Amino acid sequence: MLSFLFKKEHRVEALIYDYLETVERTHENFLNALTACIDNPFCENFEFFIDRTHKYESKADDIREEIKTLMYGKTLIPDARGDIMGLLEAIDTIPRLFERILYIIQTQKLEIPDFLIPDLKDLVRLSLECCELMRRQVVALFKKNESIRELLNIIDTHESHCDRIERRMITKIFESGITPFLKLQLKDLTVQIGEISDQADRVSKRINIINMKRRV
Amino acid sequence: MITSFLGGIFLGWSLGANDAANAFGTAVSSRMVKFYTAAVIGAVFVVTGALLEGRAGIETLQGLTAFDLKKAVICSVAAALTVTLMTVLGLPISTSQAVVGAILGIGILSQRLDLSGLSKVVTCWVATPIGGALIAMLLYPLLGAVYNRMNLNLFQSDRLLKIGLICSGAYGAYALGANNVANVSAVFVGAGSITVFDATLLGGLSIALGILTFSRPVMETVGRRLVRVDPYSALVVVIAMGLTVHAFTWIGVPVSTSHATVGAVLGIGILRSVKTVNRRMLGNIVIGWGLTPVLACLFSIALYVASNLYYVPD
Repeated sequence: MLSFLFKKEHRVEALIYDYLETVERTHENFLNALTACIDNPFCENFEFFIDRTHKYESKADDIREEIKTLMYGKTLIPDARGDIMGLLEAIDTIPRLFERILYIIQTQKLEIPDFLIPDLKDLVRLSLECCELMRRQVVALFKKNESIRELLNIIDTHESHCDRIERRMITKIFESGITPFLKLQLKDLTVQIGEISDQADRVSKRINIINMKRRV
Repeated sequence: MITSFLGGIFLGWSLGANDAANAFGTAVSSRMVKFYTAAVIGAVFVVTGALLEGRAGIETLQGLTAFDLKKAVICSVAAALTVTLMTVLGLPISTSQAVVGAILGIGILSQRLDLSGLSKVVTCWVATPIGGALIAMLLYPLLGAVYNRMNLNLFQSDRLLKIGLICSGAYGAYALGANNVANVSAVFVGAGSITVFDATLLGGLSIALGILTFSRPVMETVGRRLVRVDPYSALVVVIAMGLTVHAFTWIGVPVSTSHATVGAVLGIGILRSVKTVNRRMLGNIVIGWGLTPVLACLFSIALYVASNLYYVPD
């Protein structure tokens, strides 16, 4: 009922789902690129998935700009406008992190040493799980189909686990016999990957606040 | 005869330009509702309110003193001058206080003042912000419980607030028309120049004219300045203002929508233990509250004396 009065709002809502789907594609291609890199460093697949990651990251940026333009054309009440824009900007940090991590590996020609691979896989898996939970949380904010609070708790637990893995990896890097220069490169890579779950956790807390704000 | 009503039309115009902000200020200043949508809805509901429920207020004000047409015009002009001056000074305006002050001024000079009606009016002035605060304090948790139970998502909540602000704004405009039309045209009924129906129509249309032609800047500035609350609280404020002013319409006393709004904002502030209106704003309200009737009274006395001066050649 009255949906004809809220055409722009419906368009914003549809674009947000498009945006989330695009971020998910970035996430898939990031994982594929990383898997390709671990299995066979600097193979063609790795380059291909980097390009795909970049393509989807740019597409997400374009959608975000479209949402921004539409919203500031007097769509939604200012409070909701600010919340959505802040949320999208916070989410957008994650695809940029994916891209940055892949570029670090590509441009610095990094090869992951064997002793780091199991922890790295764990860290990436958990970080991406945080991203998926965060995506579900955003959908829950707009559809109310899941408990935002429960998802927040799971993300929080995963994020703590990621922090532990990150610390363990950095310890292993500095205990290993690799060159000091490679140590610093790998440490930087580990910190960047660890930042994914940190950012997902920040976004998750933000979603919870946006949701709480809408309770009287 | 028609030129005699110009003072009343001017007063109605300034009332519409200023007070529509209390009904639609939040929605327009925050770009939730387009100005023209708000202005047209406001104008239609002001006229409807004036025509359907404006009679009681007119009867109260005309009962304060009996005027001829000249005194009625002086009253309107004095009230309009007070409203304009207070607007320039940036103080919150109560057109009702200005009109009653002007009536008192003329009443004092002509020694035909009915003080029994005055006590009712002054009591209602004090009760307006208190009523606004109490209604807001009651509505806030009550509507909040319903709102929370609905468990709306962000977009549904946005739509509900938008529709709510338009509907409550329309109701506020209706209450404004019903209550404040007496300020504009009661003196002319008292002077026997027009019937009560004509007075409600003339008053309603002149307020509507003010809304349509000059309320935009006031809505955009006053709406932002007066109400610094979240959208849900803004909705409660407008409903509380509408209910308060409407209740006084039934009693038959014109009151200030600004005072009801400030009372409602304060009420929410008390309930949530947050500062919603700053001290300076409160100080301005108190100054305006005391100064408006006094100034209008002095203006009407001055205008009346001036209008009775005659040039006597040597």
